[in-house]
Amino acid sequence: MSKITSSSTAEYFAKNLQQVGFSSPAKAVLTTLKEAVDNSLDACEEAGILPEISIEIGKLGPGASRNTDLVQIVVEDNGPGLDPDDLGKVFGEYLASSKFGRGRCSRGQQGIGISAATTWAQLTNASGVRVISKTKNMRKAVSAIIDVDIKGNRGIIKKKETIDWDKSHGLKVEFRIDGRVVLNGDGGLLTYLEGTTLVNPHMSINYKLVDQDPQDIPRVATTVPDIPPATLPHPHTMKLGEFMTHAGLYGKIALENFLKKGFSRVNDATVKDMVKKGLAKGLMAKNLTAISEEEYKKIYQALHDTELIAPSTRSVLTVGEEGLSKSIQRLGEVDFFSVVTRKPRICDFKPVVVEVAIARFKDRGSDEDAPVQLLRFANRVPLQFDKGACAITRSVESVNWRSYGLNQPKDSVPTGPYVFAVSVTSPFIKFKNASKETIDGSDDLVDEIRRALMQAGQKLSRHIRAEYKAADLERKISHIEKFGPILVEGLARIVSAPKSRVEKAEEGLKKLLGRDASSAEAELEQATSKLKALKDRERKKLGGDDEEAAGDAMSEEAVIEHEEQAASADDEGATKGSKKSAGRKKK
Amino acid sequence: MAKPIRIRELKKDIPKEAKALCETMLSDLEKAKRPVLEAVKCSLDNSFYSPKVGFLTPGEKVVKTELNVSSVQKMARTIFMLEVLLGNLKSGAVNTKRELYYISKGLVKSNNHYKPLDFDDQPESDSVIDFICDMLEVYREEMNCFANDRGGQTYSKNLVVTETLPDGTTAVVDVSGLGTTPFQPKNKPQQFRLKAKKGKIDFCLIVESEGTANTLVANGMHTRHNCIIMGAQGVPSNGVRGWCKTIQDQLKIPMYFYGDLDAYTLQNIFRTLKAGSAASLIRNSDFSAPEVRFLGVLPEDVKKYDLLCYSVNERDAAEARSLKKAKDALENDPFFQDKKNSDLADILHWLVKEKKRCEQQAVFSVDPKDPQILEKVIVEKIKKGSYV
Repeated sequence: MSKITSSSTAEYFAKNLQQVGFSSPAKAVLTTLKEAVDNSLDACEEAGILPEISIEIGKLGPGASRNTDLVQIVVEDNGPGLDPDDLGKVFGEYLASSKFGRGRCSRGQQGIGISAATTWAQLTNASGVRVISKTKNMRKAVSAIIDVDIKGNRGIIKKKETIDWDKSHGLKVEFRIDGRVVLNGDGGLLTYLEGTTLVNPHMSINYKLVDQDPQDIPRVATTVPDIPPATLPHPHTMKLGEFMTHAGLYGKIALENFLKKGFSRVNDATVKDMVKKGLAKGLMAKNLTAISEEEYKKIYQALHDTELIAPSTRSVLTVGEEGLSKSIQRLGEVDFFSVVTRKPRICDFKPVVVEVAIARFKDRGSDEDAPVQLLRFANRVPLQFDKGACAITRSVESVNWRSYGLNQPKDSVPTGPYVFAVSVTSPFIKFKNASKETIDGSDDLVDEIRRALMQAGQKLSRHIRAEYKAADLERKISHIEKFGPILVEGLARIVSAPKSRVEKAEEGLKKLLGRDASSAEAELEQATSKLKALKDRERKKLGGDDEEAAGDAMSEEAVIEHEEQAASADDEGATKGSKKSAGRKKK
Repeated sequence: MAKPIRIRELKKDIPKEAKALCETMLSDLEKAKRPVLEAVKCSLDNSFYSPKVGFLTPGEKVVKTELNVSSVQKMARTIFMLEVLLGNLKSGAVNTKRELYYISKGLVKSNNHYKPLDFDDQPESDSVIDFICDMLEVYREEMNCFANDRGGQTYSKNLVVTETLPDGTTAVVDVSGLGTTPFQPKNKPQQFRLKAKKGKIDFCLIVESEGTANTLVANGMHTRHNCIIMGAQGVPSNGVRGWCKTIQDQLKIPMYFYGDLDAYTLQNIFRTLKAGSAASLIRNSDFSAPEVRFLGVLPEDVKKYDLLCYSVNERDAAEARSLKKAKDALENDPFFQDKKNSDLADILHWLVKEKKRCEQQAVFSVDPKDPQILEKVIVEKIKKGSYV
């Protein structure tokens, strides 16, 4: 009989990195960047700092593996920095996280991603991640290289030294990995950066990708998103095993107290109801440590048979219509856009917020037959792979976009030069895989996303209608010019009319058809004013700024004003950030 | 050029009427008033049927085209094509619709000014020609525009056709002398003079399938019986319709139609032959033969001869359409709604109820070894009055 051995978590992931987004050289570069940026953003938000992210990706030469390059990925932030003692845990240990199971809308959840990136660097380039960290309490920064001890699932700190760093606080990570740089397309780095820019209006970002020109994108929101506190779990979202593990956290207290303190939406009335439904009254007073497995099963069943109020939606975070409206304009010159932020809803007993932004950019393709560009987000992280299986894609396909003036092949996403951004935020998003590439959608969730899309579609259709009227007017005017003279000449030839009659009839014709053109102009004006009314309503809703907040591209002055605001807010944010002390949280 | 032969005694002067119409349009334009073109609405909802008249006639509904930015193209094209047709009437030239399409293309090609009027395909120019005819209430042939009429291949041992040619001379065709070659009328069969070579012809049989008509002739039916056999070749063309009308009016003999037992045959083929169509309301009077009777296949034949039928598969879009057609005909077609045609309506009811269809060739299954079986069945049915 072969010997049974146990492996560490790190060993498992080292052998299965494809499960967490390292399935190809191109995906490895994207995932590494994504994990580093997500961690930076989470850390800044936790510390109340307006994030300033700096990214540099370059090719250093050929990679050790076939058909790869040695790619250097550097991500630097102005976050709170990490305590030197935590560096090993954060970058070298799997499932070591400050966010695991907290029930908050953070980007990272389990503590796998960045350790997997270190492992990939180690496996492909024989060196882990180089980190520079400085917290506000440190005079000098710490620089070190972190490797993963794969057998022991822990981080090994090497070449640790203190260095001067002209930052008051922050973190810089540098990965050298075998990979391939893909900029465009669904899985491209630019698509990721655009998506991240869109849903993080409070972030300013500058990046230099290989031989591309450097980009500097200022923030358009000056407040750090207020991350709602986590709420207690709702009993109906748990399985029996989870329920028992949860009970284990509460130690020696009575069952009744555990139920009321350990869960949301459980109160005295719930306890009474459970007893009414046959659960022994004495069990409620019993200490948790004295309850048998059989009894736990009965309690669990009774709790599930009892009707409870749906969970609170307070724990959900939104980007907001204002933020999205401003942020979308950082992606290019916008021809038209509509944004919708739905109120938090409960889907499968989990609070969810869906936000949709639909935009058409002046400088992007005008191919009417190509599918729209669909950007998917889960907890403000772009989802770039396995589009077809995602609940967001299913929802987009289920809407009848033809009624909003778009072309749509049967059971497919609509076509046209539009960008559809759909963001789902929830403390409990169910993904189909560990690399978090697709949302596993229940019918409830699909329906909620669908509603948001339809609301955005209604706004879009007004714009399309106005465009149609404008085209109609153009067509009518061109008709007059083309066919009028031919008609009159034909009639004159048949009746042998003199030139004077022809001239008179042409004048009459112009008058007649001019009236039609005027009525088409009136229709266009009506459609335009309806569209303007919609934009005004949006602007009012978004706080009545002077700029064209909803519907049109920002004017040049508005952009300048924004940049000035953003600059002053940066200073504020930095001060605010320095007042707070928060440890860097790990994904 | 010789004067074209007329289908009917037309009381109107087409060029004069056309000019008057153009004069009104031009003077309206001079007054900055919108010219309006009116044409009979040729559709089922504007069709009326009276057994006394015998064919579908138009109601009061008209299609009005008032000049506006949307209709200016149609009006300009109408006047453009009218000018071409008037030119033909003046010179005596005749053309098919296809030729008129190419004439229009040629005019556009030779003068860039006309480019906006260019027709993308023939249906576009056809619809303008039809609109002109409906507007002036004249036949296309009266505008010197002829179609290449198909169908109407005729066989008889006792029929003589006399045709007066445009130059005033006459051509006499003894159909019995043509051998196996059929006599096929073209364009204006109404101007033929018909007579029996000897005595009186007993009946005229119009067969839906040209192939089946040919089989009957090849097997010698027209030699054994004093009759006329004609192949309709599907939906009857104007030539076939006019030819049947001429035979009915001049020879005054019983006329029988033999075809499939399905809604398409009953409505699109038989009803068009007998009472005209909704699309040609203004020409039905000269292009329908109200005396034609439906000889079969009848539902009673299916039972009597145990004919092989097909079940209508409602899941098949085409077959389901045929069932829907029968229901629509019962609900909307004034011809089938008239009491006089209740027997024909009953056939449609039978088709809807039984969800079956039977082909005209199914009779050959009655006695597979007898090549004359169809002839025998047809003659028996005529003798016994088994027709509707």
